[in-house]
Amino acid sequence: LPVNLPGLVDHLRKIAGRDAVLDRPEDLMLYEYDAGIRKSTPGAVVFPQSTEQVSQIMRLATAQNVAVVARGAGTGLSGGSIPQEGGVVIAFSRMNRILEVDVENQRATVQPGVVNLQLSEHVAHLGLYFAPDPSSQKACTIGGNVAENSGGPHTLMHGVTVNHVTGVEVVMPSGEIVHFGGKAAESYGYDMTGFIVGSEGTVGITTAITVKLLRKPEKIATLLGVFESVDDAALTVSAITAAGITPAALEMLDGWTLRTVEAFCHAGYPLDAGAVLLIELEGLREVVEEQAIAVREVCFGQKAREVRRAKDDDERALLWKGRKMAFAALGRVTPSYYTQDGVVPRSQIPAVMRHIGNVAKKYDLVIGNIFHAGDGNLHPLILFDMRNAGQFERVLQASWDILEFCIQCGGSITGEHGVGMEKRDLMPLLFTEEDLDVMVGLRNAFNGAGVLNPQKIFPTPRMCREITGPTQNPVLMQEGL
Amino acid sequence: VSTATVNTRFAPDFRAICGREHVTEDPAELQAWEILGVAPSLAVIPASADEVAAILRFANEHGLSVVPAGGFTQQQTGNLPQQVDVLLFTTRLTAVEHYDAGDLTVGIGAGCTVAQLSAMVAEDGLFFAGDPAQPERCTIGGLLATGWYGPRRQGYGGLRDYCIGVRFVTGDGRKAKGGGRVVKNVAGYDMMKLLIGSQGTLGIITSASFKLFPAPRQTRTFVALFPSAAEALKFRTHVLRSPLDPICLELVSPEAHQMLAPGSPAGAGWSICVRAAGSDTVLDRYRSELGQAVVREMEGANEQGFWRALEDFSQIASERHPQSLLVSMTLPVADVESVLRHLSALAEANRFSFAAIGRVGIAHLLVSLWQAPGAEASMVSFVNTVSGLRSHLPPDVSMAVLRCPAETRHHISAWGPMPTDMESMRAVKMALDPKDILNRGRFLF
Repeated sequence: LPVNLPGLVDHLRKIAGRDAVLDRPEDLMLYEYDAGIRKSTPGAVVFPQSTEQVSQIMRLATAQNVAVVARGAGTGLSGGSIPQEGGVVIAFSRMNRILEVDVENQRATVQPGVVNLQLSEHVAHLGLYFAPDPSSQKACTIGGNVAENSGGPHTLMHGVTVNHVTGVEVVMPSGEIVHFGGKAAESYGYDMTGFIVGSEGTVGITTAITVKLLRKPEKIATLLGVFESVDDAALTVSAITAAGITPAALEMLDGWTLRTVEAFCHAGYPLDAGAVLLIELEGLREVVEEQAIAVREVCFGQKAREVRRAKDDDERALLWKGRKMAFAALGRVTPSYYTQDGVVPRSQIPAVMRHIGNVAKKYDLVIGNIFHAGDGNLHPLILFDMRNAGQFERVLQASWDILEFCIQCGGSITGEHGVGMEKRDLMPLLFTEEDLDVMVGLRNAFNGAGVLNPQKIFPTPRMCREITGPTQNPVLMQEGL
Repeated sequence: VSTATVNTRFAPDFRAICGREHVTEDPAELQAWEILGVAPSLAVIPASADEVAAILRFANEHGLSVVPAGGFTQQQTGNLPQQVDVLLFTTRLTAVEHYDAGDLTVGIGAGCTVAQLSAMVAEDGLFFAGDPAQPERCTIGGLLATGWYGPRRQGYGGLRDYCIGVRFVTGDGRKAKGGGRVVKNVAGYDMMKLLIGSQGTLGIITSASFKLFPAPRQTRTFVALFPSAAEALKFRTHVLRSPLDPICLELVSPEAHQMLAPGSPAGAGWSICVRAAGSDTVLDRYRSELGQAVVREMEGANEQGFWRALEDFSQIASERHPQSLLVSMTLPVADVESVLRHLSALAEANRFSFAAIGRVGIAHLLVSLWQAPGAEASMVSFVNTVSGLRSHLPPDVSMAVLRCPAETRHHISAWGPMPTDMESMRAVKMALDPKDILNRGRFLF
């Protein structure tokens, strides 16, 4: 629909203030992408400072039938915050206050623009922290985490974002401001809080979020298991699960990735290893010590060459540095790479790792692996150069091949990045037409006109019946966080 | 449509869907399945999700009300139904969809009982964390639909944390699912969240997948005793702020302790029961952290029996005091003390006695109230007690009346105010059960 853009921008300025709206092309360019290279230019970007302003913006957009997308830091990998061409971006960088820290109830209420790590830093002196820790936690916002139901390494023990949100304030597409849940862990009535987390901004816009704060553990032990082969490391992951140990985090880096990372940040990974496991245990001192012994035994039982334990916080930080800097390290060896986000049952990790190895050979690509092994959440990184058109096509084929294998194993197409635009046409591989019809019906119950974040999650109708292969560009990551 | 017409007109249609022997219209048999005094006019026991869908589509065409049923352990909760046209048992949906002991996941039919599931996974040293009352009867579908949880909520989280997938049939007869069988998955809307605690009003759950946990090799329960609720709760806070990570952290009032463990010296006061899992070394650490307040330790059969009684509290209390209120409250942790103080004052003013238990680290309270000996029997005082409780609840508290004397049913709303926006919940209901087929009149609308 043609939109009276100048009129709309004037309206937005009246709502949010003169300095709170961008509409010049050179400014809008900064809001046309997220952590990938998919682009779509908005018609305006508005920076509300209050829930009331968000409500007025939604009312305006609904009245004028203009597409709206909420945006945090734009670190998403699935295109969740990409605007519709000419639509409005509601950027939350000016709604970044921590509204309340309730120590007694171990809750914090924050505005959506609060950066994930800032909340943990803000409450650190109380011995508390916010558990979800996406790799982008220095930049990504809690509003974005809520929309995508983000994970991170330590969600193995503590769960993803939804397990840490107890209440939300939401602006619905109608502009109405509503509340779901509160400080109680659960309440009677439908769990709308749980439903809206992970709905990728298609149901409503959260404007305040009440989250759980966890108490810092008494003891943390970080171990590095060194293996000759990916296979041995993969078998160790399922052996640790089967031994009944739940580490706080259990990450794998394959040989190629750890060498790339080591060259960049000198975390101390052995250069000739086939793979390493980064295993973190936390909790009561006595429990951690017992588990550390048990984990070491399991590793050696699976042919580990060596198991190191960080002696102090510095050594621990160094081991994690390698994990956290991995994406930056990759930027030095490849012009571009595509991060996949498949999930398999944990016992299938050895099989899927072998499959990824075969896929790399089959399509003549370099694929690195650095991922949340403990919950079966793979992140194969497929290297490519955008200028090589034939190679790009192979990247798409390889990625498709890997995700199909995940589904065949009983897994999923996304563990923490979301469906967004990237994977909406893969949804029919997981869900029947009727499954999707039920979900779309729910979206339409709130967002029937499709004003709020259109074209996300659900396949375009054409794709519903007929799957022919990847036809759309995935979100391509150039620089990770 | 009167009850009789439903019987004669539709029984053959349901037989065509489920088979002859799986449809009952015998009034005597159906009387045994009355819900708050309302007997269903017909009962069906489908064998598959397809049959459930066919039944619900038929019910939609003819405007019949359908009540999903499992083990009938919580079926007397909720508002009074006007009529029950079809009682739909999920008890034949018991197939194991997937069981991956090495992955610590299982997918199971909704009609399987919690005890059956627990026994199956126990063979592999695993553990299903759901702990409803009467697990031998309570089904997986009923557990999810009621969102019920017990003391283990402290250490293992709730259903919303460890249910990873669900298959269901919407009120309008569409087969649907959410999630899957892997422990981390964000593909599509989180349908599990909507169905858990929906009291069977959005869809009929046909199967679900769960994370399992390694069964603890050894557990021990430490009972600390205090003269008042306030002091017990201070100890609760001490435990929450310690490095300890107990499986259960339960407050038990003096009357509740007498009810659950008659003659126990702990019945002399308010107790905090801390259940811990781990090696001897770990349990020693608990002992030293918990300190002097601990008056008793339990292990083995004693301990099992004690927690089983706590899980069955709702049942035990209702049997002990048939004319009683059973109230369930979810609340912020810091409000437990003031709510209990208010409860205590109100009970005294209305001449009620009460027994309370609660997972006070979460926080959730279950309270049974009955008229004190010697008080004049008065139904009005039950109604007044409920309204008195509701009128003084702090924000974010929701309170359900799970049981009340039959005579008061018309005057006591089972659910009361909720912190979540009503219109949004109505929109969800309309999207999944537009003709209000499922549990009509019993929950929110």
